[in-house]
Amino acid sequence: MVADDRPDAAGVTGTADTRENDGFQTKTIDASEASWWRRLGAGATHYPFVERSRYYFVISFLVIVAGAAALSARGLNFGISFKGGVSWQVPSATLTVAQASKIVARAGVTQATVVTLGSHSARTVEVQAGLTKLSGAARTAKENQVASLLAAKAHLPSSAVAIEFVGPTWGGQITNAAVKALIAFFVGIILYISLRFEWKMAAAAFIAVVHDLLVTVGIYALSGFQVTPSTVIAVLTILGYSLYDTIVVFDRIKENVGGLVDPGKMNYSDAVDLSVNQTLARSLNTSLVAIIPILSVLILGAYVLGATTLKNFGLALVVGLTSGAYSSLFIASPLLARFKEREHRYRQIRARLERRQAPVEAEGLPAS
Amino acid sequence: MRKGRWIRSVLISTVVALAAFAAVVSLRYHPVLGLDLQGGASVVYKPARKVDTATLNETISIIQNRVNALGVGEPSIGQQGSDIVVDLPGIKDPKTALSYIGQTAILQFRPVLCEAPLYTKPPASLHLKKSQLTPTCPTSAANTTSTLQYVPTTSPLKATSASTALLPEYQGTSKTVIGRYVVGPTLMTGNAIKSVYAAPESQSASNQWAINFTLTSKGAPLFNEIAKTYYHQLLAVVLDGTVQSAPEINSTSFNGQGQITGNYTQASATDLATILQYGALPVQLVQQTVQTISPTLGAASLRAGLIAGIVGLILVMLYTIFYYRLLGLVVVGGLATTFAALWAIMAYLGHSAQLTLNLSGVTGIIVSIGVIVDSYIVFFERLKDEARNGRSLRASVDTGFTKAFRTIIAADLVSFIGAALLYYFSIGDVRGFAFFLGLSTILDVASAWFFTRPLVLWIGNSISPTHYRWLGVPVVQVTRESAAGTGVIKPSRVAAKGV
Repeated sequence: MVADDRPDAAGVTGTADTRENDGFQTKTIDASEASWWRRLGAGATHYPFVERSRYYFVISFLVIVAGAAALSARGLNFGISFKGGVSWQVPSATLTVAQASKIVARAGVTQATVVTLGSHSARTVEVQAGLTKLSGAARTAKENQVASLLAAKAHLPSSAVAIEFVGPTWGGQITNAAVKALIAFFVGIILYISLRFEWKMAAAAFIAVVHDLLVTVGIYALSGFQVTPSTVIAVLTILGYSLYDTIVVFDRIKENVGGLVDPGKMNYSDAVDLSVNQTLARSLNTSLVAIIPILSVLILGAYVLGATTLKNFGLALVVGLTSGAYSSLFIASPLLARFKEREHRYRQIRARLERRQAPVEAEGLPAS
Repeated sequence: MRKGRWIRSVLISTVVALAAFAAVVSLRYHPVLGLDLQGGASVVYKPARKVDTATLNETISIIQNRVNALGVGEPSIGQQGSDIVVDLPGIKDPKTALSYIGQTAILQFRPVLCEAPLYTKPPASLHLKKSQLTPTCPTSAANTTSTLQYVPTTSPLKATSASTALLPEYQGTSKTVIGRYVVGPTLMTGNAIKSVYAAPESQSASNQWAINFTLTSKGAPLFNEIAKTYYHQLLAVVLDGTVQSAPEINSTSFNGQGQITGNYTQASATDLATILQYGALPVQLVQQTVQTISPTLGAASLRAGLIAGIVGLILVMLYTIFYYRLLGLVVVGGLATTFAALWAIMAYLGHSAQLTLNLSGVTGIIVSIGVIVDSYIVFFERLKDEARNGRSLRASVDTGFTKAFRTIIAADLVSFIGAALLYYFSIGDVRGFAFFLGLSTILDVASAWFFTRPLVLWIGNSISPTHYRWLGVPVVQVTRESAAGTGVIKPSRVAAKGV
């Protein structure tokens, strides 16, 4: 996917200066001399997104299939918010995982998981356990017992230990609300894109978003990251973000189709490629500025400073944003081209353009 | 003249944002931090059975009273579907508080040992021993009520059934204390009551009402025993640490039913009947989630969120300055005004509408950095596009913005619709997140129109052609004679402007 080095037909090679009415200096550089960076900034890259799309589709398909396999084999690692249970968070620089596990086991809490996050003064030890079999007062007593044992070991007052209890039905409620929100979100967005653009764009954008959802769920199944309500929020955000990204590209496609395809100068697939390449600098910059703060949240906020919630947010956002940036370029746009090329009108334009080009090829210019 | 208008728009939008920021700072409004950031306790209750709205509202108002009795800073009691959400920020002893709030049967029948005078603050000259400050009735006429008036009312949290307590009686639902009683340990709870109804007093010619009650098979003998022991004494009906009524026992045998008479109107009789019937809450509550967070942990999370956000913001600013040079500074200015406005709105809503900023909200804001900066990127890339098509810089800025703004609106609307639907349909933390994301989207559009556009127009018109390089990565263009031939990489001519 490297730009062709042949000199331009017009014969302009090297550099040339032209002057414009407001003194705007124009320096002309041949593509062979321009760096990738500069071509990218100029929207002058020529990546054949549509033509290669079947490879991208296969890659995504494989990722999704792998995710689905992991999902059916071992499912998702749901946090206590979904299963129900108790978590204790101890802010301590000294309490070790082994100590915490021992304390919890001695208190008669089985199947507890202990993790730590952050380091030094910002270190947190988190213990999670089911405890849903105990009811009411017995559970509260157990919660407090474990809290004071952990606190004593960490030389803290027992009030320093944060306790979270989640009932077994709460997760269902969250999931219910999230699914409702998701459906409403999809319906709303499809309606909006259909009205503002057209339904085929809505369909392509929708498939890309479903792709992001599947990829994210798949990666969670593969990696065994814990699914918490924060993950759900993050996933919903990603969907919005991915769509947002797609819309910017589609807006350009719409414009190029109006200016180039409809007058019969270009076929639809090429217009899509042109649009994606033109907006490539923007897409990359956008993904970069979106991912910088989130990496900061994940690395600095979670791993250095030990905020558990931030970790849950950050992981899902990084996974989803990457998938969202990918799907806008490699899934949504090629899909749109494929949908539209089926239309009679765009098939005609393509045929007419190919007829016009045939004699040129006969004169000795190779097609590729 | 247009230049003047642009400068005015930039100045006005900056001044409005900064003035709003200064105003909330000077008024000492600041964003109200959520529980996860300042520590405290939060609990979600679900009624054990399906209840109608009236019952739910009654439950909420009872919980409200209980929470008020705790004297917590800024409690919030809300409803989420049929769930009741209680947030107690900054509470000291969350465990006791939460078990108190959610209790169903706190209705107690306790013997009145004596009536106590209303509380008065002890004079400074009087030094009372701790033993004198415990609720004890005067044993003889000589040792009258002299110190009892200085004994504070027992807090509802400490009015456990086993001890002697000094409890108040309020006038109706008001906060006015009309009497105080020293009561002994609980003799019987609300569980002993089978059914209750209020009815007009049959023998009374006046409009007085009475409360008729039936006891359970277990409660009936117990009540008879109490009646024998405390015959002709007062029996306090205690709910949530306050005396609801203290009728005199004037029989020794009740045969499983009884009647409370006195100065009851229809309304007050019905109220008392309801209290007796349901214990405290009209429905049993099941804890869905309970969260207690210590202030230190909250502060640590806040610090982590703030540091991560600020570092992320600075890195984004550095990148935009590196890539867009002078235009990058426009982004920095735009972000500064947008966040000043966002802070002002957060602080104002925190003050007037109990909007709280929790960790998910902070994340929403951090995510919105990406959405906001993207609008600038769309605009600047468009501007370069236009310049590539051979327009002058001035014209590029103008048409570039018009086209970019359309895209920005389309994309922001998607983001906003997403946030609004999330806010409407979801529960818990998701709402805070959606709210801040939606709010930033609106601010983004406003900032693009009132701040970025005029500022960039002004820069585009003022900058000398020799300084175009200040606008960042050179404007380069490829010319394509024919786009036909899919997959063929066409020879390109790249033009750079201002290099």
